[in-house]
Formats: sequence, C-alpha cells, structure tokens
Amino acid sequence: MSHLPSLPILSVRDLVKTYREGSLDRAVLQGLSFDIKKGELVVLLGRSGSGKSTLLNLISGMDAPTTGSIRFRDTELTKLSETERTLFRRHAIGIIFQSFNLIPTLKVEENILLPLELGGKLDKDQRQRALAVLEEVGLADRAGSFPDLLSGGEQQRVAIARALAHDPLLILADEPTGNLDFKTAGLVMDILERIVHDKERTMLIATHDRDIIGLADRVFELQEGVLREVSPAESAH
Amino acid sequence: MALSIVGVALGVAVVVGIDLANTSARTAFTLSTETVAGRATHSLEASSGTLPDSVYRIIKVDEGFRDAAPVIEGSVRIGEVDGPVVQVLGVDPLAEDPFRSFTGGPDGGIDLGRFMGRSPGVLVAAATAERLNLPEEGRFSAWHEGQHVDLEVEALLPVDSDLDAASLENLIVVDIATAQRVLTMQGQLSRVDLILPEGTEAAFRANHMRGLPDNVTLEQSAGRSDTLAQMTEAFSLNLTAMSLLALVVGMFLIYNTMTFSVVQRRPLLGRLRAVGVTRREMYWMIISEALLVGLAGSILGVVGGLALGNVLVGLVTQTINDLYFVVRIRDLDVSAWSIGKGLAIGIGSTILSTLPPAREATRTAPSMVLKRSATETSTLHALPRLVVSGVVLAVAGVGILWLSGKSIAWSYGGILAIILAFACWIPPIVLLGARTLRPVLGRVFGIIGRMGASGIEQSLSRSAVAVAALTIAVASTTGVGVMVDSFRTTVNTWLTYALEADIYISPPGDVFRRNDATITAEAEHFIRSRPDVEAAYSVRTARVLIDNQETDLIVTEPRPRELEPGRYKATMTGDFRRAMQESDVVMVSEPYAFRYGTNVGDSLRIMTSHGPVAFRVGAIYYDYASDLGVVQMTRDRYDIHFDDPRVSGLAVYATDGKDLDGLIQDLREGTASVQSLNIRSNRDLRQASLDVFDQTFTVTTVLRLLAILVAFVGVLTALMALQLERSRELAVLRANGMTPGQVGRMITLQTSSMGLLAGLLSVPLGLVLAWLLIYVINQRSFGWTLQFEVDGVILLQAILLAVVAAALAAMYPSLSMSRTKASEALREE
Repeated sequence: MSHLPSLPILSVRDLVKTYREGSLDRAVLQGLSFDIKKGELVVLLGRSGSGKSTLLNLISGMDAPTTGSIRFRDTELTKLSETERTLFRRHAIGIIFQSFNLIPTLKVEENILLPLELGGKLDKDQRQRALAVLEEVGLADRAGSFPDLLSGGEQQRVAIARALAHDPLLILADEPTGNLDFKTAGLVMDILERIVHDKERTMLIATHDRDIIGLADRVFELQEGVLREVSPAESAH
Repeated sequence: MALSIVGVALGVAVVVGIDLANTSARTAFTLSTETVAGRATHSLEASSGTLPDSVYRIIKVDEGFRDAAPVIEGSVRIGEVDGPVVQVLGVDPLAEDPFRSFTGGPDGGIDLGRFMGRSPGVLVAAATAERLNLPEEGRFSAWHEGQHVDLEVEALLPVDSDLDAASLENLIVVDIATAQRVLTMQGQLSRVDLILPEGTEAAFRANHMRGLPDNVTLEQSAGRSDTLAQMTEAFSLNLTAMSLLALVVGMFLIYNTMTFSVVQRRPLLGRLRAVGVTRREMYWMIISEALLVGLAGSILGVVGGLALGNVLVGLVTQTINDLYFVVRIRDLDVSAWSIGKGLAIGIGSTILSTLPPAREATRTAPSMVLKRSATETSTLHALPRLVVSGVVLAVAGVGILWLSGKSIAWSYGGILAIILAFACWIPPIVLLGARTLRPVLGRVFGIIGRMGASGIEQSLSRSAVAVAALTIAVASTTGVGVMVDSFRTTVNTWLTYALEADIYISPPGDVFRRNDATITAEAEHFIRSRPDVEAAYSVRTARVLIDNQETDLIVTEPRPRELEPGRYKATMTGDFRRAMQESDVVMVSEPYAFRYGTNVGDSLRIMTSHGPVAFRVGAIYYDYASDLGVVQMTRDRYDIHFDDPRVSGLAVYATDGKDLDGLIQDLREGTASVQSLNIRSNRDLRQASLDVFDQTFTVTTVLRLLAILVAFVGVLTALMALQLERSRELAVLRANGMTPGQVGRMITLQTSSMGLLAGLLSVPLGLVLAWLLIYVINQRSFGWTLQFEVDGVILLQAILLAVVAAALAAMYPSLSMSRTKASEALREE
C-alpha cells in the first residue's frame, strides 16, 4: 500500500439526487458524504441501479445534484455553470467507460490527445507526455491505428491512456472490466493498479466485480441510495 | 414522424399546386369558350379577320336557314385605358333563343326593346358588376384599343349555378349593333353560330354555302378550345417538369425522413427482433407505416397544394395573359383527378423511398442496436456499384435524349436519368471531399475541424443523401438560372437590332405579345405628318389561317434599315427581300419553322380575303417575341391579298437632333383626342419587353425556391438522424471536455462542409442542366436558338446558397445536440 496524504482532493457532503418519476420524486442518492485523498484507489460497490453511475456523473460534473456539495480542493463543482463544469472536467477528471467509448473516426493517438486538444493547440511537451502514457499501457506501437482494428482489451487500454493523458486530479472508472473476458480483465486491473500506486494517481472505480476489491485502499458500498464504508475483507464476501 | 410527414407534404404540395394552376387556367379558358359558344355546333368564320354581316343575311334570309345567330366577340377595358379586361359578346336577342339563354328570349324578363334600342346597354352578372364596380344606374367608361366608349348596365344576367357564375365572371353581353360600335366593327361579325343536326355538315356546305364569299369557312365549335390549349402545351409541360423536379428532390427528403424514423426507433426494432418478430413481419410493418406516413403527408400536401395553387395560378395566369390569351380564373379547378394524382405520387414515392431503410432495418441483427458502423461499411462497399450504376444511368440518359426526337416528356426523362447518374456519383465524391477537407479543417479549427470533416465520412449513408438532395436542388436553380440568363441576354441582343426605330406606337392591347389592336386612320395620319417625323413604317398583326392553323401574320412596310444578314437563320438564294416585295414570298420565324417543320423554299397555303393563295418561304429569321411562331409578309403583298387597310403599330424615326421626349409628348397630345395610344421610346419598349420576359419567369423562380426549401428540410432531417445516431459519441466527447459551444461548432463545420461540397458539385451539374435546358428542352419546346451565357456570379451564388442553406439547417440540430445531457446518453451503458 502506498502512503496516504492527509488532505482530500475530493470532498462530497450531504449529496442528494432525486429524479422525477411521474408525480413522484425518487431519491437515488440520499445525503452521501465522503472524502478521497490523493493517491487513493477507492472502489464503489453496488448492485445495478444502486446509483453508482449517477454518483460518478455528479462527481464528473456531467450531471448536477439536487442538493449537497462536491468540492475539488478549492473548486465547488455545484456552483459552476454547465460550460464551467465541462472545462473543469476537461482539465481535472479522466473517465474510463465500461464499453471503452473511443471515437471511431479518430486514430488511437488522436483519441488520447482529445481532452488536451479540446483545450487548444498542443505544445511539444504535452504531446510527448500523452504519448508516454500510451507506452505506459503498452500500446505505443498502435498510435496510428483506428479503434476498430483493436481488440476489446486494447481498446480499454487506449481508454485508460485517454483518461490519464492530461494528468487529471481524479480518474473515474465505471465498470472498467465489465465488457472484458476474465483474462483481459485481469490484465486491465494490473494496469489500473500500477498507474495508481506507482504514479500516485487517484482513482474512483464503480463496479460490482469483487475481484477489483483486492486493489482498493478503501471500499464503499452503495445500497438503496445510502453509502457506507466497508472493509475490503468484509466486502469480498 | 412529423418530419417525415412534412417531407412528403412539401413534395406533393409542389406537384399538386402546379397541376391545379395549369388545369385551372385550361378549364377557365374552356369554360369561357363554351359559354360564348352555347349550344352552337358549328360556326361560319372568316379565314382571316372578320365576316361581312351580309353573310348572316344570306344564311338566314336568302338560304332560309333558321338556326343561325350572329356573334361579335371582342374585349374592352373597364374604367381606365389600362383597366381590367372583360370579354364582350355581341348577340342578336331575337336570334339567340336556340343558342344561349343570356337574353332569355322574348319572355326572359329583360326588356329587349330597351336593350336593343338603347345603344350603350349591357347585360352583366351581378358578381361581375360588383367586382368591376359598375354603377347600377348611369353610364360607365370603357376603352377599346385606346378609344373611349360609354356603356350602361341594362340588366343583371340570371345566374343558375356555380358553373354559370364562373363562366360569366368576365363577360358582358351587348346587342350586336352596340358591339359593332364599341369594337369598331361596323358592318362586320366575328362569326355566325349554327346548330347543325349531326351528319348534316356536308349537306350544309353543299346547299347553303355556295353564295358565301371564298374566305368563309365552316368550323366546329368544339374545336376552338383545343386549338388554344395547344398554344400553352409546351408552357404547361415545362411547368409540370419543374414541379416533378421538386418531387425528385422531395424523394431524397422522404428517403432521409423515413430513414430518420427507422433510425429513431432502431432500439425498439432491435427489441422486436429479439422477441421473435421476423424480418418479413418487420419489413411489412415499416412499409405499412410508410403507407400511413405517405397518406398523411399526401393529404397534407394536397391541402398545401391547394394553397400553393392559389398563389401559382396568379403567376401562371399572368404569363398566359402576357403571351397567349386573356383568361380570368376565379377559383382553382380542383378535380378528383388532380387530387388522386397527388395522393398516388405522394404515397408511391414514400413507399419507394422507404424500401432502402426498411431493408436496412430488417437486415440488422437484433443484437446490433448501436452498430451504425455496419451500415457505413456496407455503404463503403457499395461505392463501386454506385459509380457503375451512375455510368449506366448517364449512358441511358444520353441515349434517351438522342432517340427521343421532339418529345419533351421523354427529354425530361433523359434529363432525370442524367440527374440520377450524377446523384450516384455523389457518395464517392463526398467521401473524397471529406477526406480532403479533414486536414484542411484540422489545420484551421484543430480537432473540432477534423472531427467535423470525419463526421461526414463516418455517416456517409446519411450525409451523401443530404448532399445529393441539396446538390440537385441547387443545381436545378443554377441550371434554370443560367438558362434564363442566357435567354435574357439573347432576347436583349435581339431587341437591340429588332427595335431600331426611335419611337414605337401601338394601341393598348389585351395580350402584350399578340397585339392585333389597330390604330385609327386619323391618328396614323397625324403621326406620319408631323414635321419632326423623318420616316415611319407600319406593322399589322393579323390572325389568319396558314396551312389550316390560325397563325399570327406580321405585315410590315419596308424598313429604312433592314435586318443584318446574320439575323436570318436561313435564306433562299438571291434577293429574298425583293422577292417578298414583288412576288408571293413570305418569311417565317424560327419557332414557326420548328413547330411546323418548315424550310426555306416550302410553300404555305395562306387563306386570304379572296381565298387560299400559295406563298413560298424565302427566309427563316430569329424571333423571340412569340413561341407560337409567326409569318412575315410585306405590306404590298398584304394589300393585294387582304381587304384590310388597318395598321396595328407604327415605328417612327425622328429627324436628326430632335429631342425624343419632346416628340413623344407632342405625339401624345396630338392623338389624345382621337385614340389613347402607347407611345414609347425605343429604350422604354425594350425595358417593357424585358419586364414581361422577367414576369414570365416569376413562376419558375417560385419553383426553384420551393426546391431549395425541400432540400433544406432534407439536410435538416439528415442532421436530426445523425444527431440520434451520434448521441452516444457526442456524450463521450462531452464527457471528455467538449463544451456545448464546441459541439455546436463541430456540427456547423460538418454541415457547412456538406453545404460546400453540395455547392461545388452543383456547379457542373447546374451547367449540364442549363445546357440541356437550352439546347434540348427549349429547342424541342419552342425551337429557339439561344446563346449559352454563364455569369460567374450565378455559380458563386449557388455555392453560397448551398453553404448557407446547410448552415441554417444545422442551427436547430447543433443547438439540440449541444444541449444533450451527456449523462443521459451514457446511461444506457
């Protein structure tokens, strides 16, 4: 286990998200509070429909909470406009999806550089750093390929590289092994562990794959909109 | 779904609108012809001009034929010298009873003694009197060929039915003597109507016509409306073809909208497949839905067509009134046939356009809900086939044009094949264009630019169809624009040499291009005798029977300067101008030669006042005043063969240095008390001619705009389909930090690039269409030789039009896409 710095980079307080269903309000998240510190790998467990993806959407700023606070160091996300949240996400957050979600018309290299390029022209250093990440996931030789020529595992590795390329504060991963076979999932888990623990990156993984728990510094479980921290040993059962 | 219906409705509305405008004009003309013909089966007419009224006396008194009635037809303008035109029907109330019920006979409730005795009395329908603001009591002003007459409403014509009301809409009935006075036809008749029992025509000729002058002919009343319908045949057909072009563009739109509706529900269709709905069942489900969409769209289209028809009928009527004959259309003639055609075309084209998306949807495996890429891969594989299909269609199109002879309908068929050939080549060209644009846009706009260009390629099956629809719409605008421009330039050049006198004088006529009104002898004498008039030559336009066809004969005095040799298409050997003076030689206009297949040296049988005379054709000359064709004869020969000393117009040359405006003023003042005449300078007449020219193409402009509108909706629906298909990709981009503004810019760049490609592609297609319209359609419709003039501005406008139309169409989808919540689009995961 890596050492744990004391200051949280993410503080979530009293987070509530309700959806309107007909004439009723349905609370998906009911007053969640937790912190994530730099260098931590936190696993979020929960059944389908428990609100894991909703929580990730709120933390990434793709959705806004009904009430509550989401603070990244000095930035209160809930006070930002849609565009400001997007710009914040572009610089501070990297996202890994279950189904990879690479842009089919962009080559591997372009996919990785996407968040950086959306911010404007790239300098040489940025480009080199981003390509170094591709090497980190073992796909430097596929930089010029289009995504449809890659296997599922390779595509997920490119998606991981894309999430890391702009050196974000926090990486969010939503069921990163959900679309992969057992062997490939293991390979991807190794990469995830390495990129967090070797390089002191911070990651929140939402999953119901209990194999990932072994990598976690801390484990949270989301049940019927309520979050509780569980020990890795307890959660493994 | 609503967009699909709108798409179908727009295409059908254009076709129905044009069809209704065309048929309404034709019906109105037929109705008014039948109204004045009444129950007459035949009539005695002069081969040219009018009949002496002695013909009626011979038939009725000398020959003792009872069912005969004299008729005078003409027109007057009400109120002002340029007021609305109404038809005048002069009848003898005592002879009318078997023919028409206007005067009601001796027991008809109209005081015939007063009607016949009080010279200015007219019978008019109440609605007509109200429309023309005719006073119930007292006289009102009317003008005939610039001469003022007073008339008075004697009684209102009884209206029995809607049909009657429509036929009386533009008619005033007067006593025959009044008609002769008002229309300056003393001692003359337009015709003598007859009722001949079936099968007695030959007997009538043999028994009753021997004592009549040579130039009197026996005509069937029913044939009259056919002759005039033939005049507008080419005009109507060309309008119909333009409306069908809008439908072709509309079919692309229907294809896109139906694809859109299939794409929209692809997850649902996937689920249906997954629960066991077979391909065949799903195919028929989509086709049945297309049937409903087609039906709903077609019904809406028919309603829209009725509204559009009301606008177009005004434009069509204006053109017919300027070029062919005066007709007033009160209501659209809405027939079950027109509506049925609209419905059939709408439903048929919807189903036809739905076949590809239905196939596409049913071939998708149930699990491949989001596999748009599969379709795009099959599109890429289809590109070589499309190129070959294009070549086959192009060869077929050229073949049809080559073999179709004079048939305009087949010619349009050939053009359609060429348009479709071009449409087949568009997808590969769009692919190449998108790949070329990608680095260029990337350099300027970064990743947004690259993705904008890639988006075109990524959704080629959608974007290529939208580009094709826009290309065809803009190309048709360019093609027609270049054709009209070429035509206008040709007419302008022609006017420069055709109008070489300083001042042109003619009485106000009803039809701009077919004016046979005459100048009074007094006014002519005054004009010719002015000291500032150095020379003048007269023109007479008379309608005569030439080879049994009623044709405009233009009779001219020798001009001080004759037309340059280059202005003749063909001439006989020797001095044909001298031959025209000294012998029975005429020249024919290019459209006449085309219409009747006449060549130099051929003989024309012209019905003169003294019977038929053979004239030789000495020359074919370029003329753009009449698409029906005219024959030109010298005044000397006309005076020998026709008993008609009148002139229809005068061309005046002023003495050197004379102020033309001053001379025009002088002539106006001098003739005002005798006859109100149009006295125009060379420049003004040329401008008036060009104004009429421009007016005749207004309806074409409306159709071009409609085609663009249809294409615009096509691009819009294509983008809406893309929006649905790419919602997930856009959500990923948003998740990775693409701002709503950047999404909007990317979509706008993609669409503008599609617009640019459509604009660039429309230039060659537009030029090909213009060439075909000028050298094939125009040649086969009218026989005119036109200069091919291409103004670079029109081509630039085309490109700009395509880009702007596409960019405008992108506004809503890009706004909508940029507002899409990424979290919702990704939730399906």
